[in-house]
Amino acid sequence: MSGVLAFVSDGLELVILVYFLLINSFYFLFNLLSLSGILRYRRMVTFVRFGEIFRMPIVRPVSVIVPAFNEEAGIVESVRSLLSLRYPVFEVVVVNDGSTDATLARLAAAFALRPSRSVFRRSIPTQPIRAIYRSAVHPRLTVVDKSNGKKADALNAGLNVSRYPLFCAVDSDSVLESDALLKVVRPFLEDPARTVGAGGVIRLSNGCVVREGQVVAVGIPRNWIARFQVLEYLRAFLGGRLGMSMLRSTLIVSGAFGIFRKDIAMACGGYRTDSLTEDMDLVVRMQKHLHERKLAYRFCFIPDPICWTEAPEDLRVLARQRSRWHRGLIETLFRSRRMFFRPRYGVAGMFALPFYAVFEMAGPFIEVLGYVLFAGHLVFGRIDVPFAATFFFVAVFYGTFVSLLAILLEELSSHRYPRPRDIVILTATGVAENLFYRQYLSLVRAWAFLDYLRGKREWGLMERRGFAKAGQTP
Amino acid sequence: MLSVIVLYSFAYLACLSATLFLFIFARRLIVEARERRDRRTYEEMEGELLEVLTSPSPSRAALDFAQRFRDRPRVLKSLLVAYREALAGKALEPLKVIFERTIRQRCLRELRSRWLATRLQNVRLFVDFSRTEEAVHLVKLLHDKPVVRLAALNALTGIASRDTLSVIFDLFERDPEPNYYAYSNVLNSLGQRIEPFVRASLRKPLPVDKHALLIEMAGRLLLRGLYPDVVRFAASEDRELRIRTARTLGRLLVPASAKALSGLAGDPRWEVQAQALRSLGLLQDWRTIPLLVKGLFSPNWHVRYNAGYGLAAFGLVGVLQLQEISRQKEDRFAADMAAMVLDTVILTGGAA
Repeated sequence: MSGVLAFVSDGLELVILVYFLLINSFYFLFNLLSLSGILRYRRMVTFVRFGEIFRMPIVRPVSVIVPAFNEEAGIVESVRSLLSLRYPVFEVVVVNDGSTDATLARLAAAFALRPSRSVFRRSIPTQPIRAIYRSAVHPRLTVVDKSNGKKADALNAGLNVSRYPLFCAVDSDSVLESDALLKVVRPFLEDPARTVGAGGVIRLSNGCVVREGQVVAVGIPRNWIARFQVLEYLRAFLGGRLGMSMLRSTLIVSGAFGIFRKDIAMACGGYRTDSLTEDMDLVVRMQKHLHERKLAYRFCFIPDPICWTEAPEDLRVLARQRSRWHRGLIETLFRSRRMFFRPRYGVAGMFALPFYAVFEMAGPFIEVLGYVLFAGHLVFGRIDVPFAATFFFVAVFYGTFVSLLAILLEELSSHRYPRPRDIVILTATGVAENLFYRQYLSLVRAWAFLDYLRGKREWGLMERRGFAKAGQTP
Repeated sequence: MLSVIVLYSFAYLACLSATLFLFIFARRLIVEARERRDRRTYEEMEGELLEVLTSPSPSRAALDFAQRFRDRPRVLKSLLVAYREALAGKALEPLKVIFERTIRQRCLRELRSRWLATRLQNVRLFVDFSRTEEAVHLVKLLHDKPVVRLAALNALTGIASRDTLSVIFDLFERDPEPNYYAYSNVLNSLGQRIEPFVRASLRKPLPVDKHALLIEMAGRLLLRGLYPDVVRFAASEDRELRIRTARTLGRLLVPASAKALSGLAGDPRWEVQAQALRSLGLLQDWRTIPLLVKGLFSPNWHVRYNAGYGLAAFGLVGVLQLQEISRQKEDRFAADMAAMVLDTVILTGGAA
């Protein structure tokens, strides 16, 4: 019996080791691709005057759609930031998704809203719209008040009401840099026939000073949970998504800041209201739609338009957020299972979806399995302590190395952290996160898998503090 | 064996991480030092450049400036690009002189670089500072990658002569994968002088998308002389061409186009109907009001929407019609649309 157990245990160890090697090789490859991508991007935009679009007689107008549910803390600041974006023709459509707090009242007071008798096409079915307001002081602002139907439903209502051929979905707790729209829209101007979506970088506003809807000073947050996330976002966006986009394997354009062609999104039926990660779900369905019609397309990731957003600073809220993301990922992968390994769906079907399934969806399970095996061996005295310790340090240093690559990518792309001390803090964070944070998130994500199997579909509450409170002087 | 591999991996990764950290840190310090130095140079140059621009003889002062700073091309390029943003017309001449005397030769050399990004950067400088005689270098780039091709086209529009216009149209007609958005901006910036070239191209058998763009341009640039060439596309079998024709006729405002537009308002495709109704409104031929009123009762949202705004474009007469329709009870959709248009017109003062 113990022989069988030892055999199973050795087999599992081998699986875990191979998995560890494969996943790290892939991420290393993505980082290298990102590095070359960022260097190329830097050279390609030298002497580009993003402002020249203002002189162009014909521009592609953009509707910025902002779903808001109980966002009274920061909605006015967010909308102000959006209205001050530099772009020749755009509108901001805020969708109040049945908020029970003073979101609508604050908007009405700050922007002098008055009811409008707008008639729009209900191309995508949504929860009833109670009223549409226009601002008497900002002609670009429209506010839609509707019954609660969750984020995707609010975005669909925004799509119905919006007027322009491109739309940019922005979270109401986010702040866009003033030139973010100019930068992110560039692929649509350079290759208008093929570009259907583009995304920029999401950064954390924790530790930054936000004034009048703009981040005026960038700093590292004091809270360690937020610090870990700063590094995590750098790795995910600059290392992961840029690398994936260079392999034409983009499956996620962040819901916090992404721009899409409206006609394609509408043709796919808009956002799916019962999805936990409506952003990923839409991108996957758009790819399916385009592949099935044999239309050439591309999703781009641009490394320097930046959207600042607030991250949770306590483990409970973070766990809820990550659990939802992971359940959403599983749900989207499950729904698109017919695309797996079918050449008809191009790189998405042959590489991106299987990659997400094996390394993102199943990854936490395999990681947790590794911890369990380790604990088991420890209990039964089967462990070679020096070997285990060295292996642990290999994992730590590999993690640190990948984090350092992400810091390098940040230095080469937008170079937002101004003090050399920030590099030291970020590197220390990169070492420290291997000691608890990573293991915690793996557990949360593995638990999310079980929750998904048990049928848990709710979002979980997120606490918003508003930029005034979240922003600390660095 | 495994222990040895792991041990070596550990040592290797530890060294690699430490090296990478030192590299990032050292790079940051070097970059910051260089930025400080460049900023000082930039400020010094900027002060001198302002003196050049305000001196009684800017061209002569520009020569002295170029002589003095020719060995600092990196900062000079960014200064020239920044000031190009702020200046226009004759005030640009000193910048052109400085460009010619300092970095022109280098840029010309780099236009032949094997690196796409290098070619692109240098074409962009030519967009700002090119002279007519430079066209020969730029034309060569019209067979480059699309992104360089467009930058070269942009540069050519700045020095458009009859020959370069002919080159641009020739390229447009032969371009297998044209970026219509970029072409429309290029043609738009060339202005009304493109009329003979547009006419010639409209008479050639080109792909539908290219004809569509040319028709659109005729409307945007108000090339009324092209009316006979445009109006014949109203009978085209292609829906997109009929839409563009309807839109352009609404911009050209040739009274004779009411007949063609009335015909298009009865087109079987709603997209064409909607555009024709909007254009009829702009034409303000009172005999077409019944068509617009009929359009407001269409089952299609877009047709109603455009008919509503078409009526609003008539001014008071249209507003009265809209009021009447908004009060009737037979067709709620028409009433809602009329009410919305009236609401917008009153809010923005948008009635003609």
